[in-house]
Amino acid sequence: MTPRSLAKPRSPAQPQQRLDWRALLRDAEVKPVRVLLSVGAGTMALGSAVGLAAVAAWMIAKAAGMPSPAELGLAAVAVRFFGIARGLFRYLERLVSHETALGGVVALRTRTYEGVARTGASRVLGLRRGDIVARMGGDIDAMGDAVVRSLIPLGVAGTVSLLSIAITTAYLPVAGATLAGCLVAAAVLSGLMTWRSARTAAHAGTAAAARVSTATLEAIDGAAEHRVWGTSGAAADELRAADLDAEDAAELSARPAAWAAASLQAAQGAALVLALWLAVSAARHAGLPPTDTAVVTLLPLAAFEAVSAVPAAVQQAFRSAVAARRVQAMVGGAEPEGAMARGAVEGAPGLAASDAPVPATAPLRLEGLSAAWPGMLPTVPVTATIEPGGALGIVGRTGIGKTTLLLTIAGALAPAQGKALVGGAPVGPDTVGRVVAMTPEDAHLFGTTLLENLRVADGAVTEHQARAALEAVQLGPWLDSLPAGLDTRLGSGGNTVSGGERRRLLLARAVLCPAPIHLIDEPAEHLDADGIDALRALVAAMRRQGKSVVIVTHDLGILDVVDRVVSLDGS
Amino acid sequence: MKPIDPRLIARIGPARRYVIVTAALGFLTAFTILFQALLVSRMLAPVLAPAPLTEDGLGPLGLLVPLGARELAQGLPWLVLVVVARVVVVWVQERLAHRAGTRVVSQLREAVVAHATGMGPRWIASGKGAEVVTTVTRGLDGLLPYFVRYLPQLMLASTVTPLMLVVVLGLDWLSALIVALTLPLVPLFMILVGLVTRDRSRSHLEAMERLGARTLDLIAGVPTLRALGRERGPAARVRELGTASKNATMGSLRIAFLSGFVLELLTTLSVAIVAVTLGFRLIDGNVSIETALAVLILAPEVYLPLRNVGTHFHASADGIAAADAAFSILEQPTPVVGTPGGAVADFVGATVCLADVSVATPDGARHAPASVSVCAKPGELTVLRGPNGEGKSTALLALAGLLAPDHGSVIATVAGHQIDLTDADADAWTRQCAWVPQRPELGPEGRELSLGQRQLKAYERALTSGRPVLLFDEPTAHLDGEARSQLVQRIVGLARAGATVVAATHDPLVIDAADAVVEVRAAAVRGAS
Repeated sequence: MTPRSLAKPRSPAQPQQRLDWRALLRDAEVKPVRVLLSVGAGTMALGSAVGLAAVAAWMIAKAAGMPSPAELGLAAVAVRFFGIARGLFRYLERLVSHETALGGVVALRTRTYEGVARTGASRVLGLRRGDIVARMGGDIDAMGDAVVRSLIPLGVAGTVSLLSIAITTAYLPVAGATLAGCLVAAAVLSGLMTWRSARTAAHAGTAAAARVSTATLEAIDGAAEHRVWGTSGAAADELRAADLDAEDAAELSARPAAWAAASLQAAQGAALVLALWLAVSAARHAGLPPTDTAVVTLLPLAAFEAVSAVPAAVQQAFRSAVAARRVQAMVGGAEPEGAMARGAVEGAPGLAASDAPVPATAPLRLEGLSAAWPGMLPTVPVTATIEPGGALGIVGRTGIGKTTLLLTIAGALAPAQGKALVGGAPVGPDTVGRVVAMTPEDAHLFGTTLLENLRVADGAVTEHQARAALEAVQLGPWLDSLPAGLDTRLGSGGNTVSGGERRRLLLARAVLCPAPIHLIDEPAEHLDADGIDALRALVAAMRRQGKSVVIVTHDLGILDVVDRVVSLDGS
Repeated sequence: MKPIDPRLIARIGPARRYVIVTAALGFLTAFTILFQALLVSRMLAPVLAPAPLTEDGLGPLGLLVPLGARELAQGLPWLVLVVVARVVVVWVQERLAHRAGTRVVSQLREAVVAHATGMGPRWIASGKGAEVVTTVTRGLDGLLPYFVRYLPQLMLASTVTPLMLVVVLGLDWLSALIVALTLPLVPLFMILVGLVTRDRSRSHLEAMERLGARTLDLIAGVPTLRALGRERGPAARVRELGTASKNATMGSLRIAFLSGFVLELLTTLSVAIVAVTLGFRLIDGNVSIETALAVLILAPEVYLPLRNVGTHFHASADGIAAADAAFSILEQPTPVVGTPGGAVADFVGATVCLADVSVATPDGARHAPASVSVCAKPGELTVLRGPNGEGKSTALLALAGLLAPDHGSVIATVAGHQIDLTDADADAWTRQCAWVPQRPELGPEGRELSLGQRQLKAYERALTSGRPVLLFDEPTAHLDGEARSQLVQRIVGLARAGATVVAATHDPLVIDAADAVVEVRAAAVRGAS
């Protein structure tokens, strides 16, 4: 819409906010025919309003000349037809366009899911659950909305405007030209102003909204502490200041929005004044017939309805573009710089090949392995060998890089230094999950049955195996207390089980996982006695199967659970 | 859903002023629309009439627009003026709408946050706090479309629509009768359609939500599947669920759009009937062309605000729901701890006791803690011990005067004089205590720090505060070996210097340093299932 301002974005952090329609329609698998069909139905709907106005004007003017009633017959039928057609075609248009958009959303969501599943393990494992749900939920819906609320209304605005211009031009070409001018001015001015408003809102508004969120969160979560330290007033003042910020930002974006609305009204008014002036003058001095005069004068009253959808359509295009960019950033073709580039693990032979059979057991060897996200201080080098059936504990204080090291051992992140070898071959993206599986501290419990949740580890798990795994982590009595047993449904996110039960379920899942090596990331809080018992049970169960376990925690309580403990705290 | 929440008008100043101003602007809009229609009819009628017009077709309304306006030279400047006035009204309305909308949201947000902070730490910790944050940020932002789009149209529907109906009656009673007869059909049919389709659309909606939740569940688990090497399979399932969800949605949309269909059909068809009737009456000479033109131009304006109200109804429903949620928070009574303005004392050298204290969990099924009695003496470190979730943190809240127990009492003994929390000024009580929770909040700058750093900073503040009573929740969590022992040493040092110190913990290091250890246990509430 604004090529010049788009060509030079304000800051590198704010790249182009233009929607890539072609990519969107391709990814959403939207057939052009469906879009054309929707625009066609929309044109019939709003075209009916224009038609009704034109034929009614013609009929009134004709009737004023007192002809025989038969001469009005056809016009009367047409007026009634348009009266019905408008609602009918609008209904059809909404059905077709929504079906198209919803289909597009399904395609986009599947595609994004595949993209996320395919993308670098370090990226996926680093994503927060709330972010994934927001991107895959609301953002993809917003991309689908681009079709219904932007593309189709813009198309209809174009066709209906052309129709109005054509009708007017047929009767009085000069009035057709002025109507065209006013319609174009309405679309362009209101579109540009809306675009500016949306951009301001995205720049200033987003920052202000973030400040408001932080201030709200801080006032509520810290309420008790504010009472203790007598700082409640300061928290309220901060929220007030954040709100004032938000009001200022809203004010900035409201100004062009008001001009957008005003420019639409002005263009419509100008079209009416000009049409009346031209048509009545032509009737007086150039013999324009009464019927033609009436049509030319009254048409502008109906012709602007389609164009008045432009601001909302532009706003939606902007919103969809922002959503598309966020989704793109999540799938993000490239790994974060340096994450995979360093260790040359990409083409690692042996176990890394995805079609290679996974051995039931394998030794894990860490040779001076240290891990780091790009730009972070690497962890102290770790050298250790874990034979099948062994258990290694890695302890270290918070923030020292325990989880980073775990991701590196899994093969999701290239080592900063040293090597992690499974059965003599280096780990890499292809070993993640298959050879070296992992249970992150916020691992997901799915909103399905207990049994299906355990089958997440291995689709072939039998009821007997599932029961044994639950007993192994001392959930046997709990299982017996459930009326539906293994068929008990768990809530999404596992919020129908207690924290302790959740951790044990995740450990039972780890027991069932066929990968020869399993990494467990323990939550940051202290483990209570039950938590330590569950870990001990896990290690025993894994040992029986000849599988190896690596547990990271900052709790020294696991010392007697594992064979050996490595500390990351250095000296 | 009520069109205007009376609580919004009653309690939020900017909302009340905005509604009044918008109503006034609505009347202005109505008058500009009226003048525009009358002027266009005046100017157009002479060239459509087969013979020169002899009488005033606008009847009593003709007084508003002189006959001289039939000449372009006189009429056009007036029309330009009316058009400019309409543009100005639209601009002003839009500016006011945005400004009022953001102010209302700010005021409501600040009121709700202020109220929520008084609801007590356990109400906030039970997940209500997170709900409040969502409601007052993203939720209330949904009120903007309500103020900017919906409310003005509602005002137009209650000003323009009746005014235009009266005007049409003044011009031509037969057309007015047609409009007056069809107008009530609009809400009637919409209610009928709503009633007929309610059950079906509810079941569709439920199916939609179920499928949507399952898809999001599958998606939320991507990292987990990836970590177990099982990420490839579910893509097909995502598509399958998506398609099922799409079909369910379409089923509900087919019904939901019916009301829109009825609305458009009735309003457009009525205008068509008015036009056709006028046409045939013109032939018979029963109505003047000037009248017919004015009615033809005004008839759609009667229905337009109604149609727009329908269009913007859904966009503002979320905001209304959020406002409703906000008011329901405001209407919850805040728990009272102590007696405001009650006893105030200096707690230096105080013994602080819980006597047989029980606090019910939010679901009311358990007491956590249940019947705990502990006396923390000055000069000693008292430790509360017990498994997670048994009420150690809640016991600390009671000691800090942040929470009134359901049973038992909290008593401070200063120089042989006993003060019960119920008789004390809770704020003054709380300010005698340096309380540090499990995850201390340190404001925006605290969010940049790691948990451990935040912990250290919060303890720095508490240990140097000079307050006589120190209450610590899991002081050594998130800390590494050396920092842990240093912190325990400092805590013990302050106790030796005369402070009354209580710590909830299961860290052996802290327990070993304690002068007294009290076990905290929960218990099921008798009679609760």
